[in-house]
Amino acid sequence: MIATRQQRLGNFAGLGLVLVAWVLYAVYASPTQGWTFFLQLTVNGIILGSIYALIALGYSMVYGILKLLNFAHGDVYMIGSFIGFGVLSVLGGALSPAIPVVLLVLCMFAVAMIGSGVLGLVIERFAYRPLRNAPRIAPLISALGVAFFLENSALLLFGAQYRNYDGYDLISFNGIHIGGPTGVFVSYLGVIVISSSVALMVALVALVRWTRFGKAMRAVSFDREAAAMMGIDPDRVIATTFFVGSALAGAAGVMFGLVYSQIYHLIGFIAGLKGFTAAVVGGIGSIPGAMLGGLLVGMTESWAKGYLNGNVADLVVFGILIGFMLIRPTGLLGTPALQKV
Amino acid sequence: MLKKLGAVAVVAAAISVAVSTTAWGSAKGPDRVSAAAAAKVTCGKVRTIGVAAPLTGPAASIGVEQLHWAKYWAARWNRKHKSARIKIVSGDTQLGVDTAFAVKVAHSFASNSKVLAVVGPAGSQEVVASTSAYKGGSLGFISGSATRISLTDGHTDGNRIGYFYRTVPNDGVQAPRVANYMIKTLKWKRVYIIDDQETYSQGLADGVQAILKKNGVTVTRDSISQQASDFSSVIAKIPANTQGVYIPWQLAPQAQAFGQQLKAAGKSHVTLFGSDGLFSPDWKIAGSYDSFFPVSPSNATVLAYVKAHNGNGEYFGSPSYVAAQVDTLAITKACTLGHGKTTRAAVRKQIAKMKLKSSILGFPVSFSRGGDLHSPATFGIYQIQKDGTFKPVG
Amino acid sequence: MAEATPPPSAPSATQIGVDSWVTESDERRLHRAGAWGAVLRGWERLPPPGKLALVTPAIAVPFIPIVSSGNLFNYGIFILLYALLGLGLNVVVGFAGLLDLGYVAFFGFGAYTFAFLSGTHHEKGHVFTHHWPAELSIPVAIVLCGVLGLFLGSTSRRLLGDYLAIVTLFFGEAFVVFTNSADPYGVTNGSNGLANIDPLKFYAFGQHLTIASVRGYYWFLLGCVIVVLVVLHFMSESRTGRAWKASREDPLAAELMGIPVNRLKITAFIFGAGIAGLAGTVFAAAQTGAFPQNFSTQVLILIYAVVILGGVGSLTGMLVGAAVIIASNQVLDSTSPPNLQRVLFYAALIIGFALMFRSSWRKLAVVAASTVALGFAAHAIASAAWPRGVHGSVTSGGFLTGAIKHWVLLPTNPGRIADYVYVLVIVLAVSLTQLKGWWRVALAPFVFVFTAFLWENLLIQQPAVTRYVLFGALLIVLMAIRPQGLFGTARVEIA
Repeated sequence: MIATRQQRLGNFAGLGLVLVAWVLYAVYASPTQGWTFFLQLTVNGIILGSIYALIALGYSMVYGILKLLNFAHGDVYMIGSFIGFGVLSVLGGALSPAIPVVLLVLCMFAVAMIGSGVLGLVIERFAYRPLRNAPRIAPLISALGVAFFLENSALLLFGAQYRNYDGYDLISFNGIHIGGPTGVFVSYLGVIVISSSVALMVALVALVRWTRFGKAMRAVSFDREAAAMMGIDPDRVIATTFFVGSALAGAAGVMFGLVYSQIYHLIGFIAGLKGFTAAVVGGIGSIPGAMLGGLLVGMTESWAKGYLNGNVADLVVFGILIGFMLIRPTGLLGTPALQKV
Repeated sequence: MLKKLGAVAVVAAAISVAVSTTAWGSAKGPDRVSAAAAAKVTCGKVRTIGVAAPLTGPAASIGVEQLHWAKYWAARWNRKHKSARIKIVSGDTQLGVDTAFAVKVAHSFASNSKVLAVVGPAGSQEVVASTSAYKGGSLGFISGSATRISLTDGHTDGNRIGYFYRTVPNDGVQAPRVANYMIKTLKWKRVYIIDDQETYSQGLADGVQAILKKNGVTVTRDSISQQASDFSSVIAKIPANTQGVYIPWQLAPQAQAFGQQLKAAGKSHVTLFGSDGLFSPDWKIAGSYDSFFPVSPSNATVLAYVKAHNGNGEYFGSPSYVAAQVDTLAITKACTLGHGKTTRAAVRKQIAKMKLKSSILGFPVSFSRGGDLHSPATFGIYQIQKDGTFKPVG
Repeated sequence: MAEATPPPSAPSATQIGVDSWVTESDERRLHRAGAWGAVLRGWERLPPPGKLALVTPAIAVPFIPIVSSGNLFNYGIFILLYALLGLGLNVVVGFAGLLDLGYVAFFGFGAYTFAFLSGTHHEKGHVFTHHWPAELSIPVAIVLCGVLGLFLGSTSRRLLGDYLAIVTLFFGEAFVVFTNSADPYGVTNGSNGLANIDPLKFYAFGQHLTIASVRGYYWFLLGCVIVVLVVLHFMSESRTGRAWKASREDPLAAELMGIPVNRLKITAFIFGAGIAGLAGTVFAAAQTGAFPQNFSTQVLILIYAVVILGGVGSLTGMLVGAAVIIASNQVLDSTSPPNLQRVLFYAALIIGFALMFRSSWRKLAVVAASTVALGFAAHAIASAAWPRGVHGSVTSGGFLTGAIKHWVLLPTNPGRIADYVYVLVIVLAVSLTQLKGWWRVALAPFVFVFTAFLWENLLIQQPAVTRYVLFGALLIVLMAIRPQGLFGTARVEIA
């Protein structure tokens, strides 16, 4: 986990190159559409990216500690968005909320986070813990099974029809134009999403850096056996990690519902892949990396949708992942791991 | 190693020769699918019609309406014809999830020798995709909502003359109606058109775009996948002075999400204009316009339906009622002519000859050679009210 | 299956690649007394081609005379198709030990290539009309798939284990996205798919030979499966096959022994891709179309379920896995008769419980008796206290109607109750796996009764979704209990 000075310089150089390339591209493309368009896309991308970042954190933490790709993570996020929708419907729906809106939104977040967190705990306990010492192919297939199970359970329980949060009817105050009526528009809902995402990430960093649990988590991810010998219960630490990561995914699910309005049982899979890409771009296992990766992936997707074509955007994101995997599997902020033989 | 590979090659060659001979032999033998197609079916007291509609998935709201109306027809018919009852079997095409489901449904109808005629499928792309399966089973299929023009021209998207019919006017009627309403009534000068990349949507968008352009309206064309849920980038492209966005889509929940995200982008002053596929309670952005099949709400049968369904008109399904009606009458006629036995081909022949003097849609029904209505009434224009209902405005 | 069996004299000898439990279980199996033991011993002595010769017709033949073409299409063709896909995936996952999650893309690529080469399509104003004969377009499709496999396989030079899994998964997703909406030239016709495809037309020996019937496709596929089986059997026994297994068990050691590990990995990818491509061409022709979602993750999971259940690395297993998975997949399709689905569901449930208590006849009897009693008791209590709870109707019940009516609670309007019971059943089933001894016996009847309630009130209305839930659960359970599947050999990874 300790990077040498040279590696860090290399990381920043890589990051700088990527940013410069993107800005150059934007400059190249902007005369046809204008700078406002570019900035608007960037704002949209940051909103999208802060959702991806929250998903990426869960992936990254779990990979960091277990070296396990939790394919089911995207579906935990989907369940989170359905829990949020359930709370919204029980409390009167977007058009006639039964309690003050601020309280309602807080309720949605709280219930969704706790619900998905518990779901994460259950998944870890029953699908992954029995396979802790199995060949590495086994938990991957088990994870695929969990993802499939969750997706279709949601289909069974909630039906295949799309649900609409109608978040803009809920939060009726609108947003602000920056730079005149034709300038960049930032909706208040977007501001809420970005700021709550940042708040959650700050809380997570604090948790990992300054609490006993954080210390234990870092110790387990560094060397599980040594940590166990020092009196840390790895099972408990791993379970808590799953809880925290899944709760973040649940929050991301509610945010997605609020901003993009429409949810259904399949939103988890692609979002999971994007979140995973974010984790890889940032450097899997690294928490600041996940945030950075989320924002980069979100902005790239938004730009690709704006300048190229809505359909190519997914391919661009997938291409970035494959490229990073082949050329720089440690991501921007990650550290290379040696394979122990 | 080489020796073994040689042995493998010899075995493989021998087996493939054997297999192709068997396949050849069986290809010449009786073919069960075409057997179902050509077989004489004893009509009996119960005749079966297949209904292919999206019963689940994002377009479920319109598919369920189609099934309800078809079943409503069957119930009315069965009350009077105890000895020639109609049974409806439904197949879920999951429009908006995947076109392959429509093909699967078509195969299952084609291989079910009891099915004599079909109502549906709903979407134009589903019609194109499942044509081979229906033709293979010699089944006639009547859609109550597929409006793409070229479905009936016999060459552009494949030839289905003599198999496919529809009980709705096509987009050759819808597109001019919509474009003229935009130009003359709404007086729009700047329109943004977004298709959803499906056969139906692209055809309609092309048609409207051409007429608008001819009349000097500034048109921008864009397109977004039916699976998309983030529209923010497309919305960012819509110029602030645009008056209307035309979205000829099939999935009402998507239109709803689009409207919500339009508000989110501070562009709620831009008016949406949809097409028949969006005529559903799932789309409730107040102030939006929508074009829709001709219906006559004052028709006695329609009123009875509304009464039986708690005041819920579910008008999207009403052409499927007529489709089921045509199927039933054709089957009955073919059964009478065949003295209690008939074939699917005979039923198709009767569909082609069908002439209804009046229908619940408010106009007579008979088909051209390609399968279009002879005397189509025009599409209605509706506006969505604050309570989510559709009010006729033209 | 090609692993050496341990010498009987030293059952406790530690063997690399085979763990001690498995070694002993083989022992136990071989020394089991009675008729069943004799059958098992006979089976063990049979050489693999003999086993296949027994198994293949046993699966293939019953379908031919008795079924209608609809059923032959749904069962026969799909079982053979997935057997073929399983065999191909088995080369990559089973022989070479590479987790390829983009496998379904090759299947799709084969189908689209065939559709493009043998069919007429109008897309975005272009017309593509090629009517190549099948003996030309099938090999071309296979070769192109192989090239694509070479391309994807070459990433395995740089990537290990789960990193390879990720890249291939994204590759598969990218294929679906590309065909669905991102193709700039309109060759794939987006989500509308390609529909006007020729049937398999051969111009062999100057004769026009068209496979147009379902039966014809069945024979053709059966031929393909047999050819592929034979080729793979010799392949797995050949130098290449042994080298694959060596590099699967320990790539580093294999490399040191002079085995070209990287080249072998790529060869495995090419082989797998070619077989998937073959399956794709037949599929496109038989379905008369190719659509993006035919090649989605759902299909990938089905193929994996076939391979995992059958047993990674076993050829026989692929046939059995395909038969079990695809037959239950099709029985639980929304178009098949509900009563058949019901019988299958209860049979699976009973087998599951029997396996759970297989060690003790006493416990099994107690569970069975108390399950029956509990159902009637619950019914009696409900009809006294909650009459609405027993007045629902049995969904298209056949001969089981009477039993269900009096044993399962059927509320007139289950709605939310059924949803809550769904969650409850999951919780109960999960706790059942955690309990031991008589506690488990005490809980089991409740699980059974609640599951029956759930099936009658919710699942039977949506069998098509239920089956995917069950397949997902199957993957999880198999991984925890028997990762080697039915016919595979257990391996212990040397960490």
